[in-house]
Amino acid sequence: MAETPFIEARGLAKHFGGVQALAGVDIDIRAGEVHGLVGANGAGKSTLIKILAGLQRPDAGRILIDGNPVEIETPQQATALRLGFVHQELHLVPQLNVLENITLGAPKPTRLGIVDWRRVAVDVKSIADRLGIAFPLDAPVTKLSTAERWLVSIARALVRKCRLMVMDEPTASLSEVESQRLFQIVRDLAADGIAVLYVSHRLDEILDLCDRVTAFRDGRRVLELEGQALTRQALVRAIVGGEAPEALIASDAPLSREIVFRADGLRRLPMVKSVSFDLHRGEVLGLAGLVGAGRSETARMIFGADRPQGGAMMLDGKPFRPRSPVDAMEAGLGLVPEERRSEGLILEKSLAFNIGLTNLKALQVSPLLPLLRMGKRASQAEALVRRLLVKTPSTAIPVGRLSGGNQQKVAIAKWLARSLKILILDEPSRGVDVGARAEIHRIIRDLAAEGLSTIVISSDAEELPGLCDRVLVMCEGVITGELVGRGVTREAILHASYAHAQVQKSA
Amino acid sequence: MAENIKAGNASGRTPFSLRLSVLPFLAKYGTIIGLAIMIAVFSFLAPVAFPTVSNFVNVLNQASLGIIIAGGLTVAVIVGELDLSIGFSASFLGVLVTGLMVWVGLPVPIAILAVLLVGAFIGFINGVIVTKIGVNSVIATLGTGTIIVGLNFAYSSGAPIAMGVPDAFVNIALGRLWGVPHNVLIMVAVIAILWVVVERTSIGQSIQAVGGNPVASRLSGIPVDRVKIIAFMICGACAALTGLLLASSLGSGTTSAADGYLLSAFAAVFLGSATLRDGEFHILGTVFGALIIAVGFNGLAIFGAPTFYQYVFQGAILIVAVGLSSLGRLYAAP
Repeated sequence: MAETPFIEARGLAKHFGGVQALAGVDIDIRAGEVHGLVGANGAGKSTLIKILAGLQRPDAGRILIDGNPVEIETPQQATALRLGFVHQELHLVPQLNVLENITLGAPKPTRLGIVDWRRVAVDVKSIADRLGIAFPLDAPVTKLSTAERWLVSIARALVRKCRLMVMDEPTASLSEVESQRLFQIVRDLAADGIAVLYVSHRLDEILDLCDRVTAFRDGRRVLELEGQALTRQALVRAIVGGEAPEALIASDAPLSREIVFRADGLRRLPMVKSVSFDLHRGEVLGLAGLVGAGRSETARMIFGADRPQGGAMMLDGKPFRPRSPVDAMEAGLGLVPEERRSEGLILEKSLAFNIGLTNLKALQVSPLLPLLRMGKRASQAEALVRRLLVKTPSTAIPVGRLSGGNQQKVAIAKWLARSLKILILDEPSRGVDVGARAEIHRIIRDLAAEGLSTIVISSDAEELPGLCDRVLVMCEGVITGELVGRGVTREAILHASYAHAQVQKSA
Repeated sequence: MAENIKAGNASGRTPFSLRLSVLPFLAKYGTIIGLAIMIAVFSFLAPVAFPTVSNFVNVLNQASLGIIIAGGLTVAVIVGELDLSIGFSASFLGVLVTGLMVWVGLPVPIAILAVLLVGAFIGFINGVIVTKIGVNSVIATLGTGTIIVGLNFAYSSGAPIAMGVPDAFVNIALGRLWGVPHNVLIMVAVIAILWVVVERTSIGQSIQAVGGNPVASRLSGIPVDRVKIIAFMICGACAALTGLLLASSLGSGTTSAADGYLLSAFAAVFLGSATLRDGEFHILGTVFGALIIAVGFNGLAIFGAPTFYQYVFQGAILIVAVGLSSLGRLYAAP
């Protein structure tokens, strides 16, 4: 290991208020390697990336490139040092087309001072071919899928001839197939000599893809592994700081209980063609499938956020036609939406505010007088925060200051303040670390044991086995598989996910 | 790029850089410090005229109507919308209330109630245009505001209604209780009510929620459109109250008497958002903002500054206000 790494960080430290986000971490990334970075939410991964990108200044420590100390004070300097970033939230300009987005801010060849778009296109085309970009370069980015937008963001870094490519949670919103294609691209980039820093919560892909892995916990590097030493157990131990909680065992007992909800031929084109299923009391029902299979759209119809074009629903044996989320809530439904930051929570408001929001009527002094009992609101929020083990100094701070996993728990908590019959959770553990994910699963099972029926939507085929009593798999707007009890396996879910309209039933 | 400035977040406790710690502090307490400095400077420069009880009562009295209309605007701004019709609406309703008494012969309380309802109704129309038709609130209220100017001219032909205004009506604004002008008492009551509504009621929580994130609010079961319409109605009713109190103070309904309140209300609301909270609009902040503006105008008047200074002051303070407000939000970004 005599070679100098492309980039090294030594003793980086950064604190925000009283929180030590980074407590002196070291990391080095070599040219041509895929370097994995894992850690729970709040472990300091994002802070490291922001420092490398010139978005934040470290309190202490230094960064070396090719062995020479460098200062990264602005994103422009990061680009000049040939560091490229594909952030978790893709910052593309919707008004511009693919080519314009890729070359945005990059120097372009000009003729008489006017950008020579034809030559730009030729340059970009070679990069596009390398990434296997099949869509036209003049397509508007709004027409692209999430996976295609990722390719645009990667191309954007490559156009600037980056030598380090940082990818933050790239597969969080990609389907299995798209992820596989991304992995191939990552391997190709490394083979071309680019250093790749790959940040992900999905340990299987880290193990599959990375040459070396660094693990952070509480702002410190707790592990660096490569080769044979790189195992799942070692990573989980490093991330969690102990043994992982064992997987929960679901039972098929609830299937004998009464049916709480029934969907019959629900339709809302183009995403949902025909969806029929029963939901039992106290059941955890998984809804699996690829991104775009129509699962979130189905959930929105059940919750009254969208109107079905056809089909019927029954709740407790009576016809159920919610015209709005208010109707659905009054009937005892709750929805934890997929995009918790933009749809689930009001980030700048306090935990108590967010948790109280679904339950304002019950917090009133009397049904006729809309004055709120603020003390009750606070004590209710505190009780739920304790019950769900939300890590927060108080319920009065803005929920946006919490880590992803804790935000998600608040998004769940706000429904538990009500008396619920059915809770729908859309991608409850996306962007959430291993420990918080296990806790969220525990919460779901506990709620089921109390008689609440839950529908869990997940694109992660590994999440549902062990959590769900039964799993329905959707593909292109129809249900293509139903798996029960021990039949709920990753393989069975994936198989049905790719059924493509040929309806099949498994026992 | 907002991320650039996030380095300054750190709850204002970054000891490493003066710049990073001073700016967030200024964004939060600058308005209060500014008010204190203004009072100190005016007291020093005009020790006889400025720092007297009667002058402070006078400033409060002058500020009252502006605080009421700005308080209403705060509610609209909290819900995430702007209302540019308030000044024109207040002018029109000041004319209408005198017209209803002088020409129609309605008793004073009935005329007042009617005008408050019309104000709320104007807010209702604004809300419906914004929520149900989807017109941007700036455009919608600019449109309704201009229509109201037209209605005003149609109703009064542009001439003030001054003859025959009942004394009972004039006394509302000019009277005093225990030495305190009625306007001040009414203002304190209105602010107390608005504060309770916004901070301590379910409709107020809904208003804050919708302003924070309409999508999340809808998915939390809040009727977003209805909440916005209610916020516009509160705003409209406050504008009506300001308009009729102004008519009462002037003893007449004058066509464009209250138009100027629009700018000062906006300045007060934005100055207020930079007071004590990180760029968040709130009722008590607005009161502070309006007081700063009132003290400033009072100082200019005491020193006999020519009229054009008032415009310079008003324009400058609006820019400073919005600037401080967005600074506050930048530092609050998680």
